[in-house]
Amino acid sequence: MNFKTKILSGLPALAALVLLVGCERLPMDTAQIGYRGTGMEQVTNPRIVAAEAPKHVAPAPLDPVDAGGPRARDVYQNVQVLGDLGIGEFNRLMVAMTQWIAPNESCGYCHNLANLADDSVYTKKTARRMLEMTWQINSAWKSHVGDTGVTCYTCHRGQAVPAERWFADPPTKTAGRMLGNDNGQNKAGKASVVNSSLPFDPFTPFLLGSQEIRVTAKTALPTGHDVPIQQAEWTHGLMMHMSDGLGVGCVHCHNSRAFAEWNQSPPARITAWHGIRMVRDLNNQFMLPLTAGQPKNRLGPTGDIAKVNCATCHQGVNKPLNGASMVKAHPELMAAPKPAAKTSLLPAALIESAPTVR
Amino acid sequence: MAMLSFERKYRVRGGTLLGGDLFDFWVGPFYVGFFGITTIFFAVVGTALLLYGAALGNTWNLWQISVAPPDLKYGLGLAPLKEGGLWQLITVCAIGAFGSWALREVEISRKLGIGFHVPVAFSVAIFAYVTLVVIRPVLLGAWGHGFPYGILSHLDWVSNVGYQYLHFHYNPAHMIAVSLFFTTTFALALHGSLILSSTNPAPGETVKTPEHEDTFFRDIIGYSVGTLGIHRLGLFLALSAGFFSAVCIVISGPFWTRGWPEWWGWWLRLPIWS
Amino acid sequence: MPEYQNLFTQVRVEAPSYPGVPLERERDNRERLGSGPHIQLFALLGNAQIGPVYLGFLGIASIIFFTLGFTLIGWNMLVQVNYSPIEFIRQLFWLSLDPPSPKYGLSFPPMNEGGWWMLSGLFITMSILLWWVRTYRRAVALGMGTHVAWAFAAAIWLYLVLGFIRPLLMGSWSEAVPFGIFSHLDWTTAFSLRYGNLFYNPFHMLSIVFLYGSVLLFAMHGATILAVSRYGGEREIEQIYDRGTASERAALFWRWTMGFNATMESIHRWAWWFAVLTCITGGIGILLTGTVVDNWYLWGVKHGVAPAYPEIWGPVPDPAAGR
Repeated sequence: MNFKTKILSGLPALAALVLLVGCERLPMDTAQIGYRGTGMEQVTNPRIVAAEAPKHVAPAPLDPVDAGGPRARDVYQNVQVLGDLGIGEFNRLMVAMTQWIAPNESCGYCHNLANLADDSVYTKKTARRMLEMTWQINSAWKSHVGDTGVTCYTCHRGQAVPAERWFADPPTKTAGRMLGNDNGQNKAGKASVVNSSLPFDPFTPFLLGSQEIRVTAKTALPTGHDVPIQQAEWTHGLMMHMSDGLGVGCVHCHNSRAFAEWNQSPPARITAWHGIRMVRDLNNQFMLPLTAGQPKNRLGPTGDIAKVNCATCHQGVNKPLNGASMVKAHPELMAAPKPAAKTSLLPAALIESAPTVR
Repeated sequence: MAMLSFERKYRVRGGTLLGGDLFDFWVGPFYVGFFGITTIFFAVVGTALLLYGAALGNTWNLWQISVAPPDLKYGLGLAPLKEGGLWQLITVCAIGAFGSWALREVEISRKLGIGFHVPVAFSVAIFAYVTLVVIRPVLLGAWGHGFPYGILSHLDWVSNVGYQYLHFHYNPAHMIAVSLFFTTTFALALHGSLILSSTNPAPGETVKTPEHEDTFFRDIIGYSVGTLGIHRLGLFLALSAGFFSAVCIVISGPFWTRGWPEWWGWWLRLPIWS
Repeated sequence: MPEYQNLFTQVRVEAPSYPGVPLERERDNRERLGSGPHIQLFALLGNAQIGPVYLGFLGIASIIFFTLGFTLIGWNMLVQVNYSPIEFIRQLFWLSLDPPSPKYGLSFPPMNEGGWWMLSGLFITMSILLWWVRTYRRAVALGMGTHVAWAFAAAIWLYLVLGFIRPLLMGSWSEAVPFGIFSHLDWTTAFSLRYGNLFYNPFHMLSIVFLYGSVLLFAMHGATILAVSRYGGEREIEQIYDRGTASERAALFWRWTMGFNATMESIHRWAWWFAVLTCITGGIGILLTGTVVDNWYLWGVKHGVAPAYPEIWGPVPDPAAGR
């Protein structure tokens, strides 16, 4: 065989080699999701999992304290939402929050150190609202977080601003020009849609707005379900983010032969459905109203506040912190503290009509 | 007899790989040979097992019958017959039958004094099948990674395995393979058309020559690969399509676990422009 | 000693360029642009000669329209990366020129909101149609059958279904395919997602059968001819009208292998139909989607085609039901 022939016959092997260069190596871990032979499986790389494992370790809880003692509102001033917490628990929670959110900046990150009750530092008001958000997640959204629950650490992981959050995109420079409309998609390197050329902001319509995610028709024959193909690309983009945010493939929640059919989908799909509603709730009820109080460096290119998506809590694993339940060591984060039942000199009717702390 | 008008002179003794004269005969138009016997054996047993598997299932509807591989938990061991063991046996029969068929083609080629290109080409297809049901499952550690034997069910498997990687179209080997599939079909259309247009010319015209064929393609696109070249090209395109198909699935899982769009990050991060 | 398999030409003869079969009209012969180089790399596989190429009005017009359309697509992509040539190459696979938004229906949208897509599409379509006439005319001029043109027509059918006929029937240009490497793949997935899994579309199944069948046939036919090339098997025209030992051995190989065989001519009919039916059935499958069938999986269930898998988890009700 002459030289040229050798080169030509080696080309396929060379092409294959080039492909492998960008790849991973054996052995792999596999898990079966669906019935055998359906192809509903998950293949994971144990080396990648091991490399990312430190990211998903919950910090050791602080030593427990006595739940008794005076209430925080009786000891400190301007305690608006944690007033009914015991003083020991209150102080412990403050230490924990500092560790979870601002370990290097310490108490001064939220408090005016000359006057701890003072609300002048913006982060204190934000943190107060974040506590209410945590209670909302843990009490109203058990359909998604179950009894595992979340703490500040679940999103923040030792950082003031969570590593995973999203902002609205600035309008592309080409908008309003004669040519070059990218149509909100077709951009290289967009982590939001995991490097595909799908619409790169599926968050605004689906995780802030309540636009319909479903695109498939419910009947075999057409009955007026006028959803264009381009709409399916938006849904696909959101699903790419959800998969990537949880480190799973599409078959974690779906049997792809019939994405829309609930009777073919694994139960995880229900949890995900509630998760989407939860994220919308958090973004609209808690994040958006906080925009006004933020300094410029905390806002996005269009002046909006950072918002939540799936990756914010999950950060690349199916269960945040690999399922570790930090609230067990901080039961005060399960729901807003309520006044303890006690005997009172007030008539019963007045007690019942008194406003309860939420 | 089932012989063509010119066939008798070609029916000679010899060319066998195994068995000598024992199986060197024809049944109707079919050549038997030692590997004809093994083919029949594997095909009959395999088909019988498939029918048994269908009987174990819930339907005789041709589109819905499915014999599924074992659960992943059985790893690379033998699964109970009704829990995927049947699938394993059928797979052994399939590989036996396909291999026998290829070796029979070798014997026929030797008898006819022609090249072995056909059995070699068929071996590429067998390689693709073996990649799907043996090589990739072994690399992933379980026979359960094979595809089910059923008309629609094997499509469901393709869909689900594809979506594990979020957007399988971004798999670079898949892109190459698909392009090769379309190019092969395109080239086949051109070649079939060209021969037919030379031998079935316009009414009143005589049959044309290879010079006409070359002239036609040179007129249209400025190049004609020629009568021998087109067959080499067609074979090469077709076999490359099959080869890269096998590559695209064997790398999905054993050598890549993330979404395929993510793989393209290396290009975007090349030092020359990042 | 290993045997030569006739895969690559070992001794490559250099000869003067062949100017082509003379055409009837002298001005047609002058349309042929002179011969180019002889490329030795090609000579390993087939002919080395490049050219002459027949220019002609149709050919030139087709190339002009194609260049216009191609340039418009590229220009839009270039603007998307702010005219940076480096970013153009870097981001090329992601860049795209998209069809209009659904809100414009079948009306002509603003240029930068799908208008350029429509204009490029029009130019490229005209280029393709002009090229089709070219393939027809060149065959007629040489006194040959027009089989190439009719095969090309099948491919044009599929192209027009995707970009014109189906969007027209659906009442919206937005349904058509974008011009872009990754983006047209996104469209393909979106199409299947929207319409309930295209694997359950019977015409999609047929098209794939013919696609895979075409690849199978070319492997079979290419290998067979190479196997009998020692008997002059690649001289197919002559083997057709004067059957030689090459055709006889080729036919007998398949007869003895699978019990039946084609002839040197009929194999090319098998080939032609498999390749052409790939596009014809594919076009039908696309055309029926959204117009006649809205969800192919449910259609499959209705017609008893969808297999049932044992349930391995409890009932998973739709949380949105009843809300």
